[in-house]
This record gives sequence, structure tokens and C-alpha cells, in this order.
Amino acid sequence: MEPFLTGTAMLFTDPTGLMIFVCGLLGGMLFGAIPGVNMLTLGAVLLPFTITMEPAHAVMLFSVIYCSGVFGGAITAILFNIPGAPENAPTCFDGYPMTMKGQAGKAIGAAVCCSALGGVASACLMMGATGAIANWAVRAFGPQEIFALIFFGLAVSASIGASSLWKGWLSVFAGLLIATVGTDPVGGIPRFDEWNLFGLEYRSYYLSAGIHFIPLILGFFAVSEVLVQATNISRGLRERPKAALEFPTFAEFWRVRFTVLRSICVGFFAGILPGIGATLAAFLGYSQAQRWSRNRDGFGKGEIEGVVASETANNAATGAAMIPLLALGLPGGALTAMIMGIFQIHGMEPGPLIFINSGDLVWITFAAMFWANLLIVILGWIQTKTVVHILRVPFRWLAPGILMLAIIGAFALRNLVIDVWVMFIAGVAAYFMRATGYSPAGIVLGLILGKIGESAFSKSMQLMHYDFTGFLGRPISALLLILGMIAIVSSIMRELRGKGRVHAPAD
Amino acid sequence: MSTTKHALRISAIAALAFGLSSALPANALEKPAGFGARPLTMIVPFGAGGGSDQLARAMAKAMEEAAGLSFQVVNKPGGGGTAAIPDFMLAPADGYTVLEHIDNAISAYAAGDIRENPASDWIPLCMTQITFSQIYMRADEDRFSDWSSLAEHARANPGEVTMANVGKVGSMELVVTEQLETALGVDFNLIAFDKPAERYAALIGGHVDLLFEQPGDVRNFIDAGQMVPILTFLNDRPSVFADVPTHRDVGADFEPLTRFRGFYVKAGVPDNVAEFLSDACLAGFETTDYQAFNKSKYMHLIDSFRDTEGSKALINEAVATYRAMYEMMGIGQ
Repeated sequence: MEPFLTGTAMLFTDPTGLMIFVCGLLGGMLFGAIPGVNMLTLGAVLLPFTITMEPAHAVMLFSVIYCSGVFGGAITAILFNIPGAPENAPTCFDGYPMTMKGQAGKAIGAAVCCSALGGVASACLMMGATGAIANWAVRAFGPQEIFALIFFGLAVSASIGASSLWKGWLSVFAGLLIATVGTDPVGGIPRFDEWNLFGLEYRSYYLSAGIHFIPLILGFFAVSEVLVQATNISRGLRERPKAALEFPTFAEFWRVRFTVLRSICVGFFAGILPGIGATLAAFLGYSQAQRWSRNRDGFGKGEIEGVVASETANNAATGAAMIPLLALGLPGGALTAMIMGIFQIHGMEPGPLIFINSGDLVWITFAAMFWANLLIVILGWIQTKTVVHILRVPFRWLAPGILMLAIIGAFALRNLVIDVWVMFIAGVAAYFMRATGYSPAGIVLGLILGKIGESAFSKSMQLMHYDFTGFLGRPISALLLILGMIAIVSSIMRELRGKGRVHAPAD
Repeated sequence: MSTTKHALRISAIAALAFGLSSALPANALEKPAGFGARPLTMIVPFGAGGGSDQLARAMAKAMEEAAGLSFQVVNKPGGGGTAAIPDFMLAPADGYTVLEHIDNAISAYAAGDIRENPASDWIPLCMTQITFSQIYMRADEDRFSDWSSLAEHARANPGEVTMANVGKVGSMELVVTEQLETALGVDFNLIAFDKPAERYAALIGGHVDLLFEQPGDVRNFIDAGQMVPILTFLNDRPSVFADVPTHRDVGADFEPLTRFRGFYVKAGVPDNVAEFLSDACLAGFETTDYQAFNKSKYMHLIDSFRDTEGSKALINEAVATYRAMYEMMGIGQ
């Protein structure tokens, strides 16, 4: 507690540090909220300037950007179905339907509070037990365990957003299929990059790089939504969503207290593992909430619990991701890799010794992350009261803006125009999928988890000399695989029993 | 009053002019007429934060300082570095688009994965990082303690000792390991990890036994005592790693391949522009900041610079070596 108070005092009594803190907070939120640019863009722009900064300021700045950037993307996800960053994608599933029901204020309010809660909880856990947790996680979780975790994640969430279990699984499998396009994770052998159609040779570098999930997410959510709304307008069906400013009540938060707790655990855990991070945290948090919720059928139709689950989990992953970075020198994602770069620029080595050699720096960073997460509530509250008014703009003015943001987002990923085309194709495909009860969300889930899962699976197989039973010889992976199987079997049983039931359309 | 102001203003202008003129001689390089008026694009074929990205940003800054150029660094990751190539090839040959690339481009060309020959379809401006590889073990490893005990352990348990690396078929990592295995009669189980952090976590977490890497990339783990180098792929021991045997010391007789990173423009860029950029690269390499950067990555241990002609020679030599190796290993075209 004492080093935390010292860190806080050092943060708030140093005017330069305070200014950097506030700028990082606002900058992260802003860059997080605009699709196409994200906190990584901001980080890359700022990186050269950190050379002349004090190391403590530079590290603090990046960790604050990390916290507020992960939250920022929730706003556009909720208002326009455009996730500002991939880790906000599951927030769309229920956040946007809530907006359509005139509960935008509530959805944003829930996102704000839960981001803060997840972030603060994770910051506290981080301060409590950094070294021990990181050591345990890195040793206990090898490729086998990560594959089992992915399998479990897919098994429990296969029916996200689909009208039946079968359509849900088909959607997920389509996503897994798309995930196989690109260079294979073992030998680096390009797949689907050469075709020979009717004697015409075709060679694509684009396909050897793989289909990235960001253009797909933008197409599936933003573009298809514009198409759906356009259809509704032409049929005279569309009602403008009410720009409600209502904040969620305490009772509503109390009702989802277990979801919050579960998402904190899931998010924290996913954040610790190198290479997993906030995106998987959000998806796992969402699917766990759906699995255990009492009104499971309300998910995907504007259930506040869905927003709570995904936003708590992705922010809980931020504090956790700092643990392997500081304690072991292992950056789990691109932004933590930049923080690692800052350490190295200043001639410091993250690792077990950092707490002893640069204790001040570590605690200023911890304090800054704690307060940044707490301040998200205030900033978010102001945002709730202001940005919701954008909904008063008629959709015919809003739609070009949404498409423009989506185009910028798809292009900015790798500066490739073809990504923009992929986005539009995905948008049209999603329009028909939604009309027929298939799930764009399932495809995204399959694609994101498929890439990580394939890589973990191939490493596991190499490590186990291609013997499947090796998975069951390790307790954690065996447990996760068995739980996953149980989830699949029980969902099939439930689907067969409830066969006569009339399903609500997915949209 | 007004005269004081006037005098102040004049002295301010004079100071400014002096500042400018004293700054100018640093830009000793003269830009070719009409070139360099707008920012150049530097394409990095790997993600932000990695070795190539750090190098590109350090070099962009050094060239800004040394030659008055300004750069916009763009990351285009994917396909083991091949995804950025079409964009580079589509850009006009005017010298405004510079590509950073590593020896992967050379091995990809040698294997037939890409069609562009880096030595003739591109103009190498310079190489500014050339480094060697090492094999690392965990500090708390209890089954072996150095190369000779490891080799003994590996011969007793063929195929059981696991080594994490970047597993792209035909890459420098795989070729060097294959040469080592053939020469010493050991058999490692190679595990491909595409992300560096996962690779390092796998060694520290005990999921693999060994790691194949370059010392600059894992410097913090070496300094913190978490990773211990047990073999260096270089003909002579570098001073910093004087206690670590080289592959020649342990009886493997082959010319070790190196990891090299450099900068390219497309063939067809006007000669004077390419020459200017190549000179700018050398000037950037010689700046104090860049030298400090390279030193922090252990790049000062061997000669890390090649100009255009030196780079071409290095590339052609590497292509021939890779092709010969591929023929022996039965991969590629």
C-alpha cells in the first residue's frame, strides 16, 4: 500500500507528469474511439518523443494510453456497430441492439463503469502479486494449454448470434476456414496463394499474408448494418433510436455482479498469457457470460450483461498484460512491445530486477494505471451525456460517415486498398447471413481464435511428437478439453430437446 | 524603447540565422535537384515494436538528422515479410519509397517464394545491421550446463531435445541448425514459434529446452541472467561472449550465415537519387545516436555496414549459399 501511495503522490505532485498523464488519458480514448487509428497508431507516433522524456514519464504515458485506448473503442461499437478496436467487437453484439432499443446511454454507462471496474481490479491484482503470478502462468501454460483454452472458448460460444446451434457452428467453422488462409504457422509455407484457373496462372501476395480480421469485423458489423438500415428505411420500417441519456442504475449493476467477477478473472487470466491479450479476453468474457446467464436467449438482442462482460474483460486484461512485461520482460502484444522498447531506449531491462532497480518507475506506472482506470468513469460519464446526441443526426447523414470511418479503418490496417474491398464483400455477405440466421460474430470468433489455435495446436503436436494423447497427460489442458466437450454435448442435447421451439430471429 | 526592441529583434534574427547556419553544415550531403522536398515512405515488412521496426525508426531518425530527409514509417506485416513486397513494387521508381528488409527476402528469393531478386530488381542502399546467432538455454537448466553436456544429452536422447526458432522453411535459422545437426550428428526437435514473445516465454517457462536467436534481441534476458548462451555461430569468439564456444570450436566446419537488415529502393530509381540515398544511409549510420542504438543491439561486435556494392556482394553470396543448402536439403525450386 505504501509504495502505491508514494507512487500516487509522485504522479500528482509532478506537473509535467500530471500533464503527460492527462494527455495520455484523453489521447488514448480519442484514438481508441476512431476506427482505423487506434492506440497503436498513437503509440507509434509518440515512440520517438519518449527518447527525450524521463523514463518514468514515458512508461507511464504508454500504460495510460493502453488503459484508456482499450475503453475508447466501446463508444463507436455501441452507437454505430463499429468496434474501435478488435477487443471491442463483442461489445457490439449487445451494445448496438441496446442503442436500437433506445438504451444507448445505459449501454455506454455500463461499458464505462465496467471498463473502469475491470481495469481497477486488474491494477490492484497487478500491484499485489506480479512476480509470482507471471512465473506461474508462463510455466503452467505451454502451447498445449493454450490450445485447450481456445478449444474451450470455441466450444462454449459457438452459438453466439445465430438462430440455431447448427447455424452457429457452421458460422464458426467458416471462420476457422478463413483462418487457414495465409502463411502456415509452422513452416511459413504460403497457402491459397497460387491458383491455376483454366490455364491462367494467378499469384497473390495478399492471400499469402492471410485475411485479416479487422476488415472482416468492419464489414460484418458496420457495412452490413448500414445495408440493413437502408433496407429498413426504404421499407419505411426504420425508427430513429432514442438518444437516451439514462445511466444504468445500481440495481442493474448488482444483478450482473457475478458476470463482472467472472469477466475480471477471465480477462486477467487471458492478459497474463503472452500472445493472447485483450481481444481473446473480451470474447471469452462474453461467451462465459452467455453460458452462465439466466436469460441466455436475451444475448445478442440488447442484453446489458453482454456489454458488461466484454468491457470488463478487455480492461481487466490491461493490468494483467503488464505483469509478464515487468516481471519477465515478455511483452504480450504490440503496445506492451513498445513499452519494452521504451525501457530499452533508456537502458533498462524489464525483468525480476526491475522492482529493485527502478521501484519508483514501477510504482508510478502502477499508480497511473489505477487512476487512469478510475478516471475513465468521469470522462465516460461526460461522454455519455454528450456523444449520445450524435444519434439525433438523421441516418442518411450518418451512414456516409459510418462508411467513411469503416473504409479508413480497413485501409489503415496495412495501407492496402484490397482490404477495403474485402470489407465491402464481407459487408454484403453479412447482410445475407443475418437475414438467414447465420452469425457474422461466429465467423469473427472462428477467425480470431482459429489463428491462435492453429499456431498453438501445431506447436503442441511438434512438442508431443504428433501424439494426440499428450493433451490428456497434462492436467490443465485435459480439464479444459473435457469441459469443452461437455459444453458441446450439453448444447447439442439442449438443441435436440428444444427442437419444437420457435427461434427468435438472430437480428 | 523601440530601438531596444529593434535591437532585440535583430539579435534574435541573427541568433536564428546563426542557429540555422550552424545546423546546416551537418547536412553536408547535397540533395539532388528536386528530390527530398516531401517526406519519403519507409515500408517495414514486420509489425511495430520488433527488431526491423526499431531499426527502421532509428535509421529514419538518423537520416533525418544527417541528410535533412523526413520519413513516414509504415508497417505492413504478414507472410513472413512477403506481404509488403507488392506495395513496394507498385510504388513509382522515384526514390520516395524505401523498403527495409532482412535476409528473409534473400532466402525467399533463393527458394522461389518471391520473384524479385533483391540484388538486381531492387537497389540495396546499404546494410546497417549484420549479426550472428546463438543457442540459449535456461539459467536454471539442470540436465546440462554447457554445449558439451548438452550434446551428450542430445545424443543419448535423439529427437527429444526441443529448440524454439522461427520456423519458416528455408530460413537462415533452419539452414544453420541443419548444418549444425549434420556436422555434429545431433538431432533436435525444432518447434516453430512465430511471435518472439511466445518463443522467449517457451524457453523461460520450460516448454522448450533451447532457443535459437540473435543476441541483440534477447539482450535483456541475457543481462538478467535468465538465458545463457551456450553456442555462437561465428568463426571467432566475439569479446563479449569470450566464454561461449563457437560452432567451429565444437567441431562444426561451415561458414555461418548471418542475419542482416538493410534498406532498398526499386531498380529504375535515377542513379543520382539512389547514390544520394546510399550516402545518406552511410551518414545516418555514422551518427552518434545510431551508433549507440547499434551498440545496444550488439551490432558493433562484427562489421555491420555494407554500401550498395557491398550489399550486392553479400546478397549474391547468400543466394548461392542458400541455393546450395536447399539442394542438399531438398527444398525450394
